[in-house]
Amino acid sequence: MSRFFATGSDSESEESSSADEITPKAPGTTFKQSLLLSDDEEDTKRVVRSAKDKRFEELTNLIKTIRNAMKIRDMAKCLEEFEQLCRAFLKSKNIVDKEGVPPFYIRLLADLEDYLNQLWEDKEGKKKMNKNNAKALSTLRQKIRKYNRDYETEIAAYKENPQESADEEEEKEPEDSGASSESEAEDGDEGVSAKAFLKKKPEAAPEASKFLKSAKGSGDESTSSDEDDDEDWGSDTVDSGSESSDEGEGKSASLAVVFLKKTHDADKSSEKKLGKKKKPKKKERLEEEAEEEGGEEVEGGWEKVKGGVPLVKEKPKMFAKGTEINTAVVVKKLNEILQARGKKGTDRAAQIELLHALAAIAAENNLGQGILVKIKFNIIASLYDYNPNLAAFMKADMWKKCLDCIDELLDILFENNNIFIGENIAEDSENLGVSDQPFRVRGCVLTLVERMDEEFTKIMQNTDPHSQEYVDNLKDEGRVCGIIDRLLTYLENKGSTEEICRVYLRRIMHTYYKFDYKAHRRSLGLQGESKSEQDQEESEGEDSAVIMDRLCKFIYAKDRTDRIRTCAILCHIYHHALHSRWYQARDLMLMSHLQDNIQHADPPVQILYNRTMVQLGICAFRQGMIKDAHNALLDIQSSGRAKELLGQGLLMRNMQERNAEQEKIEKRRQVPFHMHINLELLECVYLVSAMLLEIPYMAAHEFDARRRMISKQFHHQLRVGERQPLLGPPESMREHVVAASKAMKMGDWRTCHSFIINEKMNSKVWDLFPETQRVREMLVRKIQEESLRTYLFTYSSVYDSISMETLSEMFELEIPTVHSIISKMIINEELMASLDQPTQTVVMHRTEPTSLQNMALQLAEKLGSLVENNERVFDLKQGVYGGYFNRDQKGGYQQKQSYQRDQKGSYQQKQQGYQRGGYRNQNQGNY
Amino acid sequence: KEQRKENHKSVAGGMKNTAALILLFLFSQVVLKIIKHYQEEGQGSEVVQGVLLGLVVDDRLEITNCFPFPQHTEDDADFDEVQYQMEMMRSLRHVNIDHLHVGWYQSTYYGSFVSRALLDSQFSYQHAIEESVVLIYDPIKTAQGSLSLKAYRLTPKLMEICKEKDFTPEGLKKANIGFEHMFEEVPIVIKNSHLINVLLWELEDKSTVADKHELLNLSSSNHLEKSLQLLMDRVDDMSQDIVKYNTYSRNLSKQQQQKHQYLQRRQQENAQRQSRGEPPLPEEDINKMFKPPQPPPRMDTLLIAGQINNYCQNVKEFTSQNLGKLFMAEALQGHN
Repeated sequence: MSRFFATGSDSESEESSSADEITPKAPGTTFKQSLLLSDDEEDTKRVVRSAKDKRFEELTNLIKTIRNAMKIRDMAKCLEEFEQLCRAFLKSKNIVDKEGVPPFYIRLLADLEDYLNQLWEDKEGKKKMNKNNAKALSTLRQKIRKYNRDYETEIAAYKENPQESADEEEEKEPEDSGASSESEAEDGDEGVSAKAFLKKKPEAAPEASKFLKSAKGSGDESTSSDEDDDEDWGSDTVDSGSESSDEGEGKSASLAVVFLKKTHDADKSSEKKLGKKKKPKKKERLEEEAEEEGGEEVEGGWEKVKGGVPLVKEKPKMFAKGTEINTAVVVKKLNEILQARGKKGTDRAAQIELLHALAAIAAENNLGQGILVKIKFNIIASLYDYNPNLAAFMKADMWKKCLDCIDELLDILFENNNIFIGENIAEDSENLGVSDQPFRVRGCVLTLVERMDEEFTKIMQNTDPHSQEYVDNLKDEGRVCGIIDRLLTYLENKGSTEEICRVYLRRIMHTYYKFDYKAHRRSLGLQGESKSEQDQEESEGEDSAVIMDRLCKFIYAKDRTDRIRTCAILCHIYHHALHSRWYQARDLMLMSHLQDNIQHADPPVQILYNRTMVQLGICAFRQGMIKDAHNALLDIQSSGRAKELLGQGLLMRNMQERNAEQEKIEKRRQVPFHMHINLELLECVYLVSAMLLEIPYMAAHEFDARRRMISKQFHHQLRVGERQPLLGPPESMREHVVAASKAMKMGDWRTCHSFIINEKMNSKVWDLFPETQRVREMLVRKIQEESLRTYLFTYSSVYDSISMETLSEMFELEIPTVHSIISKMIINEELMASLDQPTQTVVMHRTEPTSLQNMALQLAEKLGSLVENNERVFDLKQGVYGGYFNRDQKGGYQQKQSYQRDQKGSYQQKQQGYQRGGYRNQNQGNY
Repeated sequence: KEQRKENHKSVAGGMKNTAALILLFLFSQVVLKIIKHYQEEGQGSEVVQGVLLGLVVDDRLEITNCFPFPQHTEDDADFDEVQYQMEMMRSLRHVNIDHLHVGWYQSTYYGSFVSRALLDSQFSYQHAIEESVVLIYDPIKTAQGSLSLKAYRLTPKLMEICKEKDFTPEGLKKANIGFEHMFEEVPIVIKNSHLINVLLWELEDKSTVADKHELLNLSSSNHLEKSLQLLMDRVDDMSQDIVKYNTYSRNLSKQQQQKHQYLQRRQQENAQRQSRGEPPLPEEDINKMFKPPQPPPRMDTLLIAGQINNYCQNVKEFTSQNLGKLFMAEALQGHN
């Protein structure tokens, strides 16, 4: 039906533009009502007509199939169709009551009976029939005999004069197919309504009323017609305009849009014709209606409006020419428009257009900024409303429009200091018109901007990140930021603290993930200054760090909702970490105690937390704090779901576990691509830190049966590497790390170095860091140090003593460094040796426990647990009285597992665990 | 088994009171045969087994001959061991060798022989032939220079339990059996015929000093490590068993409590009913309502304990010997 309203509005607006006498319609009534109540007689009549048309068409269609079936003697089909026909006929009973039994129906009944009788007589033919058909024939015959008893007179009449009735029907049929011809014919005698209404109104009224009552989308009318429409549609598109339009009307709005395109042209042409014809004849009421429709009910006519741009331009004449346009009128109009908002059949695009037009009128007539602001609010709101589905995202032009609108709105707000806006200003206490008092407008810019921000995220989520389109969309980010900035300045003057907090958070959200190259360059010693004018310009302005600091601190101080503060803290940490301010970031993380209760937060905050932890880990890595890096990344990386945890994509294997609904929700949580953290970088950082920790540890605990893994994932990679039957040169990042680990195991730092830092790895990973060179240097040094440790662990049993000079040469480390590393190992009791100062040698003590001793230790441990278990049995018998085994000692056994538990615990705990001493220390202390 | 029984009865008809064997005379030829059997067929942790033949004289058992069970592989599954034994014994009888079945022998790997399989087969032997023994040969210790042969029998107590097949905790408790009382060792005396003694004397004169001094070998860690490893495994098993038992007894006591509560409630109710003059509630089958949990068989635990004990003895013996050797070595070094 939508199409018809659209056409109606188009043609009508043409008229209204040319018409002089337009009465402003009575205010107060809603549109739909006025539409319905506009003309009773006409309405009823229309209803009958339209329903009749539809019913009759249904019937004729059925009849056609029956006749076809008759021709091919398909009795089963015939029976089926006949039953359907009876049902359909019954349904249209009220119409039939009014109109009388349609002649074509009678004709069919008569023909069918004759035909059946004929078949019945034809014994031979009957014998030939298959069983199904024969059965159907007898049933059908009985049925029709019974059925026809009701129509005896009509049939008799028909039989007397078959010709006439047939003609009648043939008349009817061309009518159906030739819309324009019919319409012209009717145009003449209908007088009251233009032809457009003939088709449009009849359908529109019932449909509209249906929607109004919000009865289930479509009543039987539309469903019944839908059924066969759906079948017919594909082939029938060539049909005349009127038929297709009939069908179109039956469709729900969305379907209408789909089919619109097909019939579009045909409709248009016929409509144009109609429009021309109508012109001379019009009635005031009619125009008014038309106008209302134009205003309200341009449902699904979206395409249409676009197509007919010139028409649209003329349309916005919403007020009669003579009316004095003042605030009250405009507000009223606005309310009228808004009333349709959210209703099912409302055409949202047209509504936006209308609101725009209204804004233009308001501006033209200088109605003051108050009203303009009000209208703008509504425009933006309806722009957001345009997509009924939460998952769908804005189209590019809508988005642009939205941005423009918000910009304009902010312009107005900035220019006019006397406008007060707020959510809590009641509708009736608004002051839109009186300009000497401050304007008071209901609405909240902040919400609008927040929504805009969300829309932006949605657009980015739904764009292919590798396309040019994404880049184009991303360019809008600047504008979004600009708007947020402007809003920020505005709210800083006018808003409440909560609002400021909210807008600050928005600002933070747009800042925290961006690396501040300006500040970076500046910190490197202002080299960029001499380069060019532009650079200089760029380097002006606040550092993002300063901004972040200011905004976050404000939030920490003022925010009362926990969520905003949590987000702000996380973003702050992220920003610190991104700019390698490790200690600030870490302290903030530890002080906030976020790790304790982050699992209670909502998923987006958790994703942010994960992102922050990852960034923190990467930061620690850059700073050379391998342990911290490993610990920070462990949680994310060990699950093997880093992608999911960071909100950077869905895992395929979970497909069975979640349904479509969950998937949608998860998709909505995804972080836009430009904010992603490179997963390969993340994994590489993790694996390299694991390697630097694990390889010396493995070397130190080679014979320890109870040794634990520091990183399961790393071990997994090693195992995968070992399983390879044929080892080629490493290709992927992982293979590189595995190969490097193997080299390191042998204490061969040079090979290890060449595996970790080479062109391939540079391009894959290391070049992604802002301070590549520094990171690489750090890495080389770490590799040297850890290789030295590994070497000492692995080969200490071979040496009686070893000169530090040799070691320093071997690992290209300065002697003091070697000295300090070895000293540390000795202090931690990792290396049983002592330093001989005068000769600069390490003297091995050879007190490593033999494997037998190790075994004995293990046995002792096992026996301990055995005794403990035994004691439990004993407890059960004797009741708990401590037993003979000291409880403290029991604790000692449990403590041994503390290393593992430390890792699982929060980040903070882990830190303490590490600071307590080397792994070895912990393990040995308990024996 | 029937056959064996008959054999036994027919030959040792006069010795009903053989329950307590005091001594076991082992002929050296049996020892050599066993060693040879192991060296030919057994390696590593694989175990060889065979049949001991001999006769009972007064309160001592004389084992005069033996023959191995053939190593049979998977493919000849239809190999009939009993048939083979009968054949062997018949053949031996033909050449006038003692053909009475008096037990069986088995090699062992680091002293691990206390197992369910051994228990079962020894039980069936002892059940059929009262005085039968199992001879355990430890090739590893033997290789180190000291022949290790031990003869074991099941104690009468254990025989009782096995007969009743009652391995529940209560059953074992009632029998009051610990791992110490499962097996009794029978002292072995190796006996040579005079002819062999003469030969040995002659050989001793002829031969130079033995080249090999395995007995004095000092490197001990390998043996100890193996023993420890095995010991550790058994300790693990033991731990598991204890945990299992623990769970069982906890469940049991919990259920007992429930049962008790239920009974009390029922009693109260009945008392009330009686006071009101109503008939008491019918007694339901309480055991049906509270099915006691399946008690874990404790025999395995017992065996493991026995095995652990065995390992410990082994290690103890070994270490004390080694300590002695070490002291000797020290003294030697000091002397030099």
